[in-house]
Amino acid sequence: MRLFIFAIGGTGSRVLKSLIMLSAAGVKPLDESGQKIKAFEIIPIIVDPHKSNEDLKRTDVLLSNYSTIRRRLYGDSDEAEGFFATKISTLRSIMKDTSVNLTDTFIFNLSTVEKCKFRDFINYDTMSESNHALTSLLFADYQLENKMNIGFVGSPNIGSIALNQIKDSDEFKAFANILTNDDRIFFISSIFGGTGASGFPILVKNIRNAQNLNVANKEFLRRAPIGALTVLPYFNIQHTDDGRIDKADFIVKTQSALQYYNETLTNDTDAQINELYYLGDSISSLPYQYDPGENGQKNNAHLIEMIGALAPLKFAGTPDYKLRDQNGYPLKTAAYEYGLETDTNEVTFKAFGASTRHLLYNDMVKFHLLYMYLKNGFEKNIGKGYTQDAPEIRNEFTATDFYRTLDTQFFTAYVDWLGEMRNNNRSVNLFDYLSADMNNVISGVGTKKTWVGHKSISCDSFLSEMNRLSRDNKSYSAGHEEFKLFDLFNRAADNLLPDKYENIN
Amino acid sequence: MRNLILLAFGIVFTILFLIFPTQVYENFYFSQGFSDAMYNGSMYIVVAIITAAIAWVAAVIYYYVINSVKFDRWWHWLIILVITILLAPTVSWAYTDYDMAQQNYMYDKETFYFELLNMCVAAVLFIIASFSIRWWSSNCRHTPIPQ
Repeated sequence: MRLFIFAIGGTGSRVLKSLIMLSAAGVKPLDESGQKIKAFEIIPIIVDPHKSNEDLKRTDVLLSNYSTIRRRLYGDSDEAEGFFATKISTLRSIMKDTSVNLTDTFIFNLSTVEKCKFRDFINYDTMSESNHALTSLLFADYQLENKMNIGFVGSPNIGSIALNQIKDSDEFKAFANILTNDDRIFFISSIFGGTGASGFPILVKNIRNAQNLNVANKEFLRRAPIGALTVLPYFNIQHTDDGRIDKADFIVKTQSALQYYNETLTNDTDAQINELYYLGDSISSLPYQYDPGENGQKNNAHLIEMIGALAPLKFAGTPDYKLRDQNGYPLKTAAYEYGLETDTNEVTFKAFGASTRHLLYNDMVKFHLLYMYLKNGFEKNIGKGYTQDAPEIRNEFTATDFYRTLDTQFFTAYVDWLGEMRNNNRSVNLFDYLSADMNNVISGVGTKKTWVGHKSISCDSFLSEMNRLSRDNKSYSAGHEEFKLFDLFNRAADNLLPDKYENIN
Repeated sequence: MRNLILLAFGIVFTILFLIFPTQVYENFYFSQGFSDAMYNGSMYIVVAIITAAIAWVAAVIYYYVINSVKFDRWWHWLIILVITILLAPTVSWAYTDYDMAQQNYMYDKETFYFELLNMCVAAVLFIIASFSIRWWSSNCRHTPIPQ
C-alpha cells in the first residue's frame, strides 16, 4: 500500500519526524487481524514555504538518511520486515513519466509563494481603490508585509490564498499522475497556526474537486481515501512584543478552524475526509522560543507529535470497506481522539493504552537496543562470531556510508528526539536514553526475576544470540553485511525480549 | 559436508593413534629399558587413552560447555591448549610413575623426556579435536582462526 502524506507547516514536519523514527524502529500499520502490513510505502510531501525553518530541515535530512539506510538494507523492494521496513520515497523517485521536471526532494516546491511579500503575491499595489480598501479590511499591515519565505506566521488568511496556487504546480500534477485507486492520502497539520490550518482544507478541496483541474486521474483523486491529523493546541510559545504568534490566539483560531472544517470537510451530507484524527493536550509544552524568521523554529519534539505519528499508521491499517462505499466514494467522516491510559506528566510505555503498547513497545525497544548495541558493543564484536560468517563484517564496515549515516547522523537525531521529548512537558520517559545498561534502560520495566535475583541482558547476550542464529541460517551468505547485521539483531531481539524483560503487553 | 569430513578425519586419526600408540611414541622417543617397560606393561595404550581423552574432553568443554562470547578469542583457546598439554602429561606421569614404582623401575629421567613428547602429542590431539568439532559451536566456531 502507498500512502501519500502531506505534512503541512511546522507541526507537519515534526509529526513526520516522529513517524520516521517509528518507521526506523519497524513500526508499521496493522491490518484487521493485527498483523503488520507487509508492503507499505510512504511518500512524504512537506508543504511549507518556510524552507529555512529548522524543524523542516531536520526532517528533510532525516528522510534522506532514512532512505539511504533503507535502500542499502532492502533495495527497492517495498516488502520488508524489521528495522527501516517501511519504504519512504520521493514523488520523483516513483514517477514513471520522466518528462516532468521535478526535483528529487521531499519538499514541495513553493517557489512562487516563497519569493515575495504577500502584498506582491496578490498584486496589492496594482489593485483598484475599492479592492485596495477590501484587502485592507481583510489583512493587517504586517500580514501584507509578510515575506512568505518564513511561512504565514500564524495567519491562515494569508495561507489560504497563497497555498491555493499548489494545484497548478508540477508537484501536484505529478502527484495526480502517480495516484492509483489503491493509494491513500493523509494530511498532517496543526489547526492553530497559519500554514497547516490553511493548507490542509485547500489541498483537500483541490483533490476532491479535481474535475475542475487540469490534472490526470481526476476520478482517483475524487475517490481516494483521505485521512487527516489535525493537531489542536499543545505547545506553548514565549511571549514577545512582536505578537504575530501568540498562545492567547490559539484557542480562538482553533474554534474558528474547527467550525470551518465542520462546514466544509466533515459534514455528514458532503464528507470530504474519510478519517479525521484530533489530537491535542491541555497541558502545554515548555515554552518554545518565538523565532519565526530565517533558521528559526527549532522546537523540541513532543509527545503529541509521537502520538500523532500513529494516526497515518492507523489510517493505513483501516480496511477499505470502512472508508469507501460500494461505488468507491468516501463514507461519512469517522473522527478519532486519543487518550493515555494513565494521565501522567511522565509518560512511560505503561501510560499508553494496550493497543498503543501493542503497536509500539516491541519495535521501539528493539530499536533502542539496536542503538545501544551498535554504540557500545558492535565494534568490539567485529572479528568475533557472526561477524566472521559470510558475508564477513570487517572493520572497514564502520567506515561505509551506510554505517556512518546510521551512526553519526540517524542515531544522533534519534537520541536528540528522545532527549527533547524527555525534557518537554509532558515528559516522555520511554528509555533512560543516555544509559549504557540494557538491564534498566526501559523506564518502568525491569528484567525478569530469577531464584537469585534478576536476569541479565547486555551486548554479549546479543552477540551470543546472533552467533547462534547466524550459525543456523546460511542464507545470509548470499546477501550483504548490512542486511545480515540488522536481520540478525532483529531476530535476536525477538528472542531475548520475552526471555529477559518483564512482559507489559 | 566439509564439517562432517573434518569430524570424521579427527575421529579416524585419533582411533589410529589409539591402535598404534607404541609405534607413535617409540618413533619419536626410544630408550631401551624404559621403552621395554612401557611396552611390556601395556602402558603405551593407557597413556594414549588418557592423552586422547583429555584432549577431546578439553576441546568439547571449550567449544560446547564454556562456549562463551567472553572466552572466544584465540588466546582463550590457547589457554585451554596449555592446560591440556600440562594436564595430559601430568596424569600420564602419575600413572606411569605409579606403575613403574610397582615394578621397582627407576626411569625418572626417561619418564620426563617421554612426558615432554606426550605434551606434543596432547597438543596435536587437542588441535585435531578442536578443528573436528568447533564448527557447531555457536560462539567459538571461528576460534582459533576463522572458518
